[in-house]
Parts: sequence; structure tokens; C-alpha cells
Amino acid sequence: MAKRVIIVDDSRAVVATAELALDEMIGSGVIEFKSYLNPLELLGALQAGSENFDLLISDVNMPEMNGLDLARAIKSDERYKTKPIIILTTESSEQMKMTGKEIGVTGWMVKPFSDDKLVKSLKMVLGV
Amino acid sequence: MGNIRLLIVDDVEDNRLVLKAICRKIEGFEIAEAEDGVEAVAKTASWSPHIILMDVMMPQMDGFEASKIIKSNYPETIIMAVTAVMDTQMEENMTSIGVAAYIRKPIDKELIRFKLENFAALLRAKEGEFKRLSTKEALNPFCADIRHFKTVFDICDSDAMMDFGMWILSRCEEKWATSCTKVDGVIELFYELMRQGTRNAEPLSIVIEENFEEIFVTIKFEKMIELKPKATSLIQELGADCIVQENLVCVRLGMAKEVLSIPQKRAVSVSKTALPVIETPTIPSVEAACEPEVVKEVKETRIVHSEEKEMLRQSFVHKTTAIEYVREIGGDVLDEIRDLESLNEEWEEKLRILEEEHTVQNLRNFVDGVLGVYVHAINNLVEFTALGYALSSLGAFLKENAKAIIDDPATLKKMVMLMEHLGSDLVSWREHIFSLQDTADIHYLDSSFFSSCMQIEGIIGNKELEVEDDNDMEFF
Repeated sequence: MAKRVIIVDDSRAVVATAELALDEMIGSGVIEFKSYLNPLELLGALQAGSENFDLLISDVNMPEMNGLDLARAIKSDERYKTKPIIILTTESSEQMKMTGKEIGVTGWMVKPFSDDKLVKSLKMVLGV
Repeated sequence: MGNIRLLIVDDVEDNRLVLKAICRKIEGFEIAEAEDGVEAVAKTASWSPHIILMDVMMPQMDGFEASKIIKSNYPETIIMAVTAVMDTQMEENMTSIGVAAYIRKPIDKELIRFKLENFAALLRAKEGEFKRLSTKEALNPFCADIRHFKTVFDICDSDAMMDFGMWILSRCEEKWATSCTKVDGVIELFYELMRQGTRNAEPLSIVIEENFEEIFVTIKFEKMIELKPKATSLIQELGADCIVQENLVCVRLGMAKEVLSIPQKRAVSVSKTALPVIETPTIPSVEAACEPEVVKEVKETRIVHSEEKEMLRQSFVHKTTAIEYVREIGGDVLDEIRDLESLNEEWEEKLRILEEEHTVQNLRNFVDGVLGVYVHAINNLVEFTALGYALSSLGAFLKENAKAIIDDPATLKKMVMLMEHLGSDLVSWREHIFSLQDTADIHYLDSSFFSSCMQIEGIIGNKELEVEDDNDMEFF
């Protein structure tokens, strides 16, 4: 069964480039891909139980909500506590990474990303 | 000649960083930096830069003093002053000591690149190295690789014939500092042909095309030419340097016989200076009928260099809110940004046209007509250097690769899709900062844009991105 991968990023261009990078995995049915531009919308859907995921890829700097705050809110919900979250951001400060680690995110990827590395990371985290 | 050595002199590290990032996009440049006038003078002595980008206001020794010393010791060095201050007296002083050009801050990246490329082409031309030029159809049958200007004489009477004779003599003198040996024979031939044409009351024109080494003079008649014995004999004297075709006669003029006898081949003279001689770089021409490019099996890599990485990772310690920022910037700048709203539809429209009609011109219309307008407006916002740089670099990349993109429908489709998304992102960026003014940090999207532009470049150019950073991926 296809693993559900969600990306949340306020930039449509980032979402589009990620989707292109994962094109083969989507096409072969290994993953299903869903994107959100607004983290609050995703959080609302998760809390309402109308959304679910096997892996969440989140940006950090978004106008409506910071990606680390989003991760914290998701991780505090028992239903998603063990679900992997990868941060995909241009931020690379050690302090911020430490915050991410404390919240319990699985990994930290720095933009711009290599298609190859994104695919490998997904395969590794999802075990596919 | 080898790489052009460019020295960037500025006491502000950020400014050096921005200039370096702009300049390293130009092929064939080697870059070094100096932090003030003293260091610039020392670096010029040890490294012999061809071109210097010189800030004016600097501690220890300012740009004027440094330029004066450098120009008196190394008059060949080209100095371009970079200044934020409008000081006509200083400009006059700089010009009087031989500063070649002025760059005003805020920096227009495309203009800097254009000026640097011009100076580089001039330096290379002095060394006998010329880039490939052909982007349009040549009239002369000798060489398709001609410069982008031509001179046309409408020959209607004897005065016009006189004008042509004078012009060709002075042009040869100007181009080769001496009259070319054949020019007299050419004038005689053309006088004969012009006389023949005007006698028959035929409309005549002479078209002169040039490359860096030769001048091609072509006379065009309305109908097929019937050559008189005198003209035939003059043509025979010119030998291989004259071609007669149906209704035109063309002659080529050049400096030396050996150059002329090797049509289509660049003559590379041996450098008389200590500079190493390298192969002339081949500049891909968008429209020229070149040999088809070999499709590479292995995906190339687009390295994200450390300078770009620094711009990408730049963090602003003091966060500025949109409300504060908009309050501070001038009305004119704000108006220009707000005017971009009217560009939304055009952005989509130009992409739609490109999707319907795959032409290099339509791609260029998109880059110049909408993306370029954004770049111009953003460049006026000194705060958004990285964003302006990212967009203008992407624009330059699209134009440089226009033919390859147009030739591959799949790539074009991806490009249009990505540009649509980028356009939406720009609309959202503009709204959050300038209309809604609801963001707590005006730079919240800068790095993301920068990153997206590189990513798009990678996708369209079919290159794998590689960041010069081992910490770009970490699992906890």
C-alpha cells in the first residue's frame, strides 16, 4: 500500500520541485503525495482526523505558523507521536537543529535539496 | 589569453560577497578581494588584475587614491568605480585619472555583468581572441559569423559613391591602423560596378558586414549582373577574396593574407604579454545553426558554491516587520512594487503564449517582459539583494539555455509549470510584505526563493544540485 507523504511549505515552487523529485516514487505507487501551503490548514485537518500521514516534510519559515511549532503541535498528539517528520528548510543553524531534535523530528534537510538525496531519505525513513 | 583576473575592492564584507556572487556567474573570470585601498594596491602589484571593481569610500586609503596609484603604475588596468554617493566632482576626478566606468549602488547585477563582459571581450579582442558572433543571417558568402551591426550605402549618384570610397578607406585605417593593401583595388572595382549600375539607373546598395578580423563589402544589384571586361579583370586580381553570385559581388578585406586564406577559422595571434594563451571560449549561440549538442548520459552537477551558500544562509539578526519596512521605504519604490500587481496577468499570459507557441522569442519575451520587470523593482529594494540576484540569475540562465528548452517539449512544460508556481510565490511574497504587511520578518521568504531558483535551474538544466556543505542532511 502506498505510503502517504505530506509536504507543507508556503512556496508553491518548492512543493512543485519536491513533487518532480519524487515523480518516480509517486508514479510507481510507492508513495502518494499531498501538499499544503498553509500549516494551520494541515494541523486543523490532522486534529479533526480528516488527514493522516506516514511521513511529513515541513518547511520552517512560513507566515502562518513556524514549522517547528507545527512539529511540536503534531508530536504532542498521541495519534502522530511516532510519525516521522523531516524538516526541509534553508535554515541550518545548530541551535535550530537542536530545537528540532528536542521536539522529536526525524531529520533535517537543507534547501536547495538534491533530488537524489531527497529520494534516498524518504526511502530510508519509510523503509521502502 | 587566460582567465580575466578581477579584483573586488570593498571594505564591507557583504558588498564583496554580493559582487563576488554576481561576477562568478561570468565565465572565464578569476576573482580576488581586497578590503581597502592599501590592500588593493598591494594585490595589484602581486596579482596583476585586468579589471578592478573599486569601492570609493573606504578607510585607510579611499578608492580615488588607490586608483591613482594603480593607474600610474599599471595604466593598462581597467578600473570600474562602485559608489553609492552621487558626487560629480569625485566622478570627474576619477575620470581624469583614467577610471573607465561607474557602477552605482544599489547594484544592477545585469549591468555589472554586461560591463564586465564588454571589458573582457575587449581585452580578449586585443589578444586576438574573439567569441563566436553569428546570431543572424549574413549577406556576404564568406562568413556567417559576423558582428551585430552593418553599414548600408544607398548608391544613387556620384556623391554617394564618393561617400563610400571615403568611408571604406577610413574604416580600414581605423580597424587596422593602416590601409589594407587590397583596399585600392576594391574601391576601383566598386567604382566600376557602381558606375555600371547608376548608368543603367538601377537601385544599388552596398552592405558592409564585419567580424573582428575582416570587413565584407557586398554590392547588390536588382538583377543578374553582366560584368564588363574591366570589372572582370579587377575581380580576377582580387582572386579568392572576391565572390560573384547572380546579383551580388562581395569582397573581403583583412589584415594579412594568411588570415584571409582560412575562411571560417578564427585567427589566434600569439599573446605578446606574459598572459598564457588559451583556446577561445566557445560561447553557445542561441539561434546559430551550430552542431547538435551531445546528450550526456550522466546527469551533470550544479554545485552550489560557498558564496551562493552564504547568501542563501544569510540571516538577519534584527528582524524587520513589514509594517516598519513599508513605513521606511520611499513612495516611488513602493509604487513600483505595487505596480507589479498589474503584471500578474501578463506573467500568466506570456507563459500561456510560450506554451502554445514554442519559440525562443516567446521565452525571451517572458524573461524580459515580466521576470525582468520584477528584478528591476526588487533591485531598487536594497534589502532584497539575494532575491534580486536569484531571480536575475534564473532569468539569465533561461535566456542562455532558451534554444535547448524550446527544443525539448518536456523541459519546456516543466519550465512553464515551475514559472507559474514561482509567479504565485512572488505574488504571495508581495502581498504579505507590501499589501497585508502581516509578516514579522520581511526576509521570511528570501532564502526559500533563492533556493527555489537554484532548484529550478537544476531541474531545467537537468543537473543534480550539490551543496558545498557536508551538513546539508542530518538524521537524529
